[in-house]
Amino acid sequence: MNGKIADVCIVGVGAVGGILAKQLTTAGLKVVAFERGPALKTAEYAQRDSISYIARPEQLEGVRHEPRIFRTSATQPGNLRYGTSPFNVLGGSMLLWTGQASRFMPGDFKVYSNEVASGLAERAGIDLRGYDVVDWPIGYDDLEPYYERFEWEFGVAGVAGMNPFAGPRQKPYPLPPLKMTARMQLFGEAAKRLGYHPFIGPAAVTSEPYRPPPPYDTRIPERPACVYCGHCNHYGCHVNAKASTLHTAIPVALQTGNLDLRTNCKVANITTDDRGLVTGVKYFDPSGVLQEQQARVVILSAFVFEHVRLLLLSKCNSKHFKSGLANSSGLVGKCFFGHGDMRVYGLFDNFIINGFIGSGAAAMRIDDFNGNNFDHTGLGFIRGGTVGCSGDGTPVSRMDIVPPDVRSWGKEYKEYFMRYYTRTFDVHMAPESLPRRDNCVDLDPHRRDRWGLPLPRVTFAFHENEKRMHLFLADIGERILREAGASKVWTELPRPAPTRQCGGTRMGADAKNSVVNGYCQSHDIPNLFIVGSSVFPTISGYPATATISALAYRTAEYIQRQRDWFH
Amino acid sequence: MKIKSQSSREYRGKRLQALTVRQARFIDAIGARILPTTDTPGAVEAGAVFCIDRALTGPYPHLLPRYARGLRALDAHAKRQFGAAFEKLNDVQQDAALSHLESGRITELHHGEGFFELLRTHVLEGVFGEPSYGGNRDMIGWKLVGFPGQQWGYPETYINKVVDLSPVTWDGLSKKPGQS
Repeated sequence: MNGKIADVCIVGVGAVGGILAKQLTTAGLKVVAFERGPALKTAEYAQRDSISYIARPEQLEGVRHEPRIFRTSATQPGNLRYGTSPFNVLGGSMLLWTGQASRFMPGDFKVYSNEVASGLAERAGIDLRGYDVVDWPIGYDDLEPYYERFEWEFGVAGVAGMNPFAGPRQKPYPLPPLKMTARMQLFGEAAKRLGYHPFIGPAAVTSEPYRPPPPYDTRIPERPACVYCGHCNHYGCHVNAKASTLHTAIPVALQTGNLDLRTNCKVANITTDDRGLVTGVKYFDPSGVLQEQQARVVILSAFVFEHVRLLLLSKCNSKHFKSGLANSSGLVGKCFFGHGDMRVYGLFDNFIINGFIGSGAAAMRIDDFNGNNFDHTGLGFIRGGTVGCSGDGTPVSRMDIVPPDVRSWGKEYKEYFMRYYTRTFDVHMAPESLPRRDNCVDLDPHRRDRWGLPLPRVTFAFHENEKRMHLFLADIGERILREAGASKVWTELPRPAPTRQCGGTRMGADAKNSVVNGYCQSHDIPNLFIVGSSVFPTISGYPATATISALAYRTAEYIQRQRDWFH
Repeated sequence: MKIKSQSSREYRGKRLQALTVRQARFIDAIGARILPTTDTPGAVEAGAVFCIDRALTGPYPHLLPRYARGLRALDAHAKRQFGAAFEKLNDVQQDAALSHLESGRITELHHGEGFFELLRTHVLEGVFGEPSYGGNRDMIGWKLVGFPGQQWGYPETYINKVVDLSPVTWDGLSKKPGQS
């Protein structure tokens, strides 16, 4: 396809890019997809190796070339950070994710209406000045059919109807839940005794061998069942039980003959014309030479940091794009946020947990303190987070988890770790944070990557609404672990940088107040789409994967309907 | 000359790549306090120092000067505070010297608490990490805590049961348990 105009250019082939590629090539469109990393074989990313994946992730191919700068205020220079999200290889972070596949709740799309405009924040006793909360321009019902398609194409295991706070669904989960583990049993029983509503969290991990049945995409190859090796979160799956586009959507897209997949190609710039449309991309080929590919439509599906960076790097002297592409609102890079992951740890003298066994995503959870599911009156904050059991991990993952009253080395430490490594689990909480304009991503003025491009720079801090929420949730987690029989319990509050990052190119109904519309289409540039968690105006207490996948299906459908764009 | 420099890198029957014998012996002395040998083996038996040597050869050669500076400062502190080189001190004195490092009280060393954290992390990785990285000899670390290693998978989830599987290392994706 070199030299020819592609129908669609896709930038970044992970969860979102893989789905887009499959859907658009199946519709007959000619797609050129760029992935800045290589196509790894299973043996190259699924070694069940805690030194490489837990202790030294910054050495991994897919991580080491893509640092970012992190700082907690605009007055600091910031430090280099390496993270496995995004994991820059074909298939993306979906190779290393845990597999938590929850849909957002209906209320998660209407935080402004339900909790700000309604006066709830005032009754809760939180002053939200400084925050910038807007509703999503779409709702749960718009995404429901696409959530379903994601669940049935990627094979989600769960129990429909078990979570009373979940939105309505047309179809059950395609797979029965994964095997019960000790931590699920203890957490579930304790939560129930406390009057909460425990449910088995949906997991995109095959509890049985799985291939999508009709009417879903039956071209997707079968995957074997999970073997419960316990190397899930941050690891690749050696049996492909954990869903990834690498083994589902991408091979199907390639089979169509309509996909020109270019791995080890780094997109550096989006090109534009005088009419204010995008015309394609400039990219570094595997040998580092700058090349150009023209396209009728460009879709960014490369995660938050790269989306912001590319839009800002593509500014030009055209009257349309002086401050970057798609940035007439001035909001590109603004309202960056995520989860403030936190854990409560529990030690058990009367129960052997063996937390290293199981699927990382197989968890019992409660949504009693997620979103707007509880009475916030007088609590001092709005929103909340999921609360669930976790605690998977090899000894390298667990060796730094030491109760505050035990010295972290020496004989005492050795005795502690020998006794409790098999007798511990954590309550994991994913409190959401609310968007603010001063939490943002921009370009570092000095530091550059191996291609000579400025590094993305993150400025982020938790503020009052989040800090109060963290303390509230810590108390819930401690209560559950004590009820479960833990003899010792302690909390680790969130670290400064958020996890499951989102925002930066948010969607909205108002072009003055958002970057894309409900179809992930730029308000300013109708043939530019931005798909992924960067479009979230607010988040739920859940991870983003199911929702960004649903958005990808929906956006692909919208694009393929625009027949007059493609000749 | 070359032969001599190689033989001078022999330590406990292995050849060091990054550390000198003196540094290796020093790290072993520290490792013996971080995860001591009791009625069960510790960091020394696990060969944590060889994992560190390999890390400083492979991904982290830039940390070698930090090790050299840090170890020198710790030794100087031991001599000043307790009148002898670190390795000559008794367990209580060694623990005290390490505590001083951990709490940043060895002011001659910039960010000494960070160096202690690095030492601790590297020693424990050398005990509990995969043996393919040079430490955790005979899976000593995994046996200590009851981790069965890089199992292909588990037949059940062992709820409130001791896992009665011998630890294994990963030996290639093609080999499932029971296959040769």
